[in-house]
Amino acid sequence: MFDTMRKYLWVIKAISKLRLSTQKEVITNFLTAEKKYVPDNTKADVSDILKCALCPNMCRFDCPVLQATKSETYSPAGKARIAYFLEMGRFTSDDAVDLMYACAGCSACQRWCPFNFSVEDLLTGVRKDIIGKGLVPSALMSLKENLVKNHTIYEGGTTSLGLTPRKADILYFAGCTTLNKTRKVADATLKILEKAGINFTALPEEWCCGAPLSILGFDKDFKKFAKHNTKMFKEEGYKTIVCSCPECAYIFKEVYPLIGLKMDADIVHTSQFLLTLVKEGKITLKERKEECVYHDPCALARRLHIYEEPRALLKYIPGLTLNEAQFTKEETRCCGMGGILNVTNPEISLSITKTRSSELQKASPCVVTACPTCEVAFKRVDNYEVLDISELVLKFLEE
Amino acid sequence: MTVNNPKDLEQSGYTIAYQGRELSSEKKKEIFDKLQKIVGKKNVSDREIDKLSYSKDYWPIALRWTLEGKVAALPDFVVWPEKTQQVSHIVQRANEEEIPVIPFGEGSGVLGGAIPVNGGIVVDMKKMDSILDINRTNLTVTVQPGINGMNFERALNREGYTSGHIPQSLYCSTVGGWLACRAAGQFSTKYGKIDDMVISLEAVLPQGEIIRSKPVPKSSTGPRIDKLLLGSEGVLGIITEATLKVWPYPEKRVLQSYAFSELQDGLESVRIILSKGIYPAVVRLYDRIETSRHFYQTKKAKGKCMLILVMEGYKELVDLEEKVSRIVCTENKGVECGENPVTHWFDTRFNVKETSEFVPRDVIFDTIEVSVMWDKSLQLYESMISAMNTIEGVILASAHASHFYPQGVCFYFTFGGTPVDTDATDFYTSVWSTAMKSCIKAGGSISHHHGIGIMRASWLPEELGETFDVFKRIKKTLDPKNIMNPGKMGL
Repeated sequence: MFDTMRKYLWVIKAISKLRLSTQKEVITNFLTAEKKYVPDNTKADVSDILKCALCPNMCRFDCPVLQATKSETYSPAGKARIAYFLEMGRFTSDDAVDLMYACAGCSACQRWCPFNFSVEDLLTGVRKDIIGKGLVPSALMSLKENLVKNHTIYEGGTTSLGLTPRKADILYFAGCTTLNKTRKVADATLKILEKAGINFTALPEEWCCGAPLSILGFDKDFKKFAKHNTKMFKEEGYKTIVCSCPECAYIFKEVYPLIGLKMDADIVHTSQFLLTLVKEGKITLKERKEECVYHDPCALARRLHIYEEPRALLKYIPGLTLNEAQFTKEETRCCGMGGILNVTNPEISLSITKTRSSELQKASPCVVTACPTCEVAFKRVDNYEVLDISELVLKFLEE
Repeated sequence: MTVNNPKDLEQSGYTIAYQGRELSSEKKKEIFDKLQKIVGKKNVSDREIDKLSYSKDYWPIALRWTLEGKVAALPDFVVWPEKTQQVSHIVQRANEEEIPVIPFGEGSGVLGGAIPVNGGIVVDMKKMDSILDINRTNLTVTVQPGINGMNFERALNREGYTSGHIPQSLYCSTVGGWLACRAAGQFSTKYGKIDDMVISLEAVLPQGEIIRSKPVPKSSTGPRIDKLLLGSEGVLGIITEATLKVWPYPEKRVLQSYAFSELQDGLESVRIILSKGIYPAVVRLYDRIETSRHFYQTKKAKGKCMLILVMEGYKELVDLEEKVSRIVCTENKGVECGENPVTHWFDTRFNVKETSEFVPRDVIFDTIEVSVMWDKSLQLYESMISAMNTIEGVILASAHASHFYPQGVCFYFTFGGTPVDTDATDFYTSVWSTAMKSCIKAGGSISHHHGIGIMRASWLPEELGETFDVFKRIKKTLDPKNIMNPGKMGL
């Protein structure tokens, strides 16, 4: 309090020199003016959106969507400005509504924001208001309906690893993308866990963590998924949940508690768990001369701040040279398939993937990552080696 | 409602401040098709959402209009050229159609220079953003103008160099924008301003001619015609490539700060330091108000004026600069405050929050940068502060000096206040008007590095005197149809 007083002493001094009537007007304005410009009946935080809209775009150089499009419309503050127009009810068009979904959700903006905003968080509020107005684009409504019905984001996809459940303290949670698009990642993880002699299990049916619902602003449905998953985790009393997907880990660890669903279990990413296994001597990695570059997934590095553990794990592999890309750790760049960008803006998504792939390949032709979505993203551009960290560990596992 | 044209926008509750010439729908289609042929389908837009997104830059009063339901101006088209030749063809078509061309970088200009006041074609240069060459022998970089400042600097740093040009807008401005308004960076006292860094340029003139100058360190071959483009804010053409100086990334950096009881002593210290041939990269001298605002945690600076210095470069030179600066500042009654205030400046120098925080609270504020010779510097500072304080509703007027020369200094004023018995635009204009008059009277230049745009245009004839007429004649010769960025710089 005292420090705040000292910080604003210059303002207090300046105001104290004004005429009494002006002082009153200045202070009243300062405290009440915003009400004129910010509606109070919205789910979006319009006050924060306005702050973003009035910024000169100080995060623009790290926004992958803007760097791919080179258009002011897609700039962080540009989107916030259109969001403000939408929220004020002064401007609505299909293009404006679509723009509210053109975000990779990579949180690169947050790192540079003087207000610590993530544009995706700001837009999620707007998306909730779009739901209220019945303006959700039809493709996204279908995505939501399929997800709610099938419990996985992939239409006709599987929700099970097909393992027979057993009593264990440790639950392996693969996630929708691992189950349906990178099954090899799950298989590698299962083999390593078995080799290490870990007593673990998997759910007979995995429901999506709910990330797409949360991102799109479907609060009720998200809560339903969160409640189901929390109940499943609690019923069996798991002490540790190991996730292959950083997004699942983030949602379980950071987002469920925000809606009052606290987890009893420790949520860890496979890279962390595998590091523990190596450190405890439960698995040993053999020597082989190879090199790779590690791509930090946004959710893992920026939201969960996990970037040293994967590197520490890779350093346990004798003979493996770990190269670094230009942008690493919390400064990592989006793979292009962050959030729901691949659904809403596939061209932009692909362009971002190409840019990041090119940065990574300057460091090494072999890319290792720790996120099934990043792996899927990179594999769709060039024919080069992309491995999940679990696949790499399996490759080096001593028999 | 769905908005299809400016009239719809107006019906939905917005007003448009600058109305351009209304093109018929046939003409719009014709021009749109021609532009598509030049830059390809993906690189031209007439979508309403894009027009709205290019309706402003970072001119504070136009930003405020966002809250008031007012849009500054709408272009007819936005295009993203990828090659110089395309820029040339766009400009040629615009001449044929007599439709304005407004070059656009990242829209961080604070004087309305990129607002399409007469509609027309906004030419967004961001797809021309490659670094074409780094010449390690010549210490130069050849770069396209659309590259973002931070991405440019990071790319140079990776190769072991710095551009030496680090404006507060580094994160949100382009190389082309810097050149077009003759920008200055925070490290300018050592490295110079952007116009000092130019070796050669390529540009498209208002009738589509492409000009290229030769990359040489100096020549004596008549006036440098290409340099007419520097600071021309798009009214004389579009810069499409530049070869700029670079420096090896500094091997040592030293931070110093001193508090002075009187601003005059701080100014005198810097003047003496520079006169000895010592050029710290960063020199910033804050008046009492700004010292209490930025350095309230430094007890030794309470009620004083803070000077911060950053010396960087070759180690032995930096050591000497540190020694000389310390002697001069101490001899001129400076109290040493250590590294912390400078570290604080480094940590907060890109925290641009004021507009976002204060504008929705109806606090009007802006910054005004001017330059002046040493012998008139204190008088200019005092008269401009006094002048701004005479406007009713001004809560504060303060300044720091942030760019220095052996011959003079740039003062960077900040004013803030709330309109009393008037509206925001009138209040804003009144403060600017009194500040500009006071600056001219005190012998200063009305702009050091932000440029002219719309906001300063009415004072430019007085600032330039007879040369303004020469400027107009040059414009008329190069751009007889007034295609390039009309309505700016008083043209």
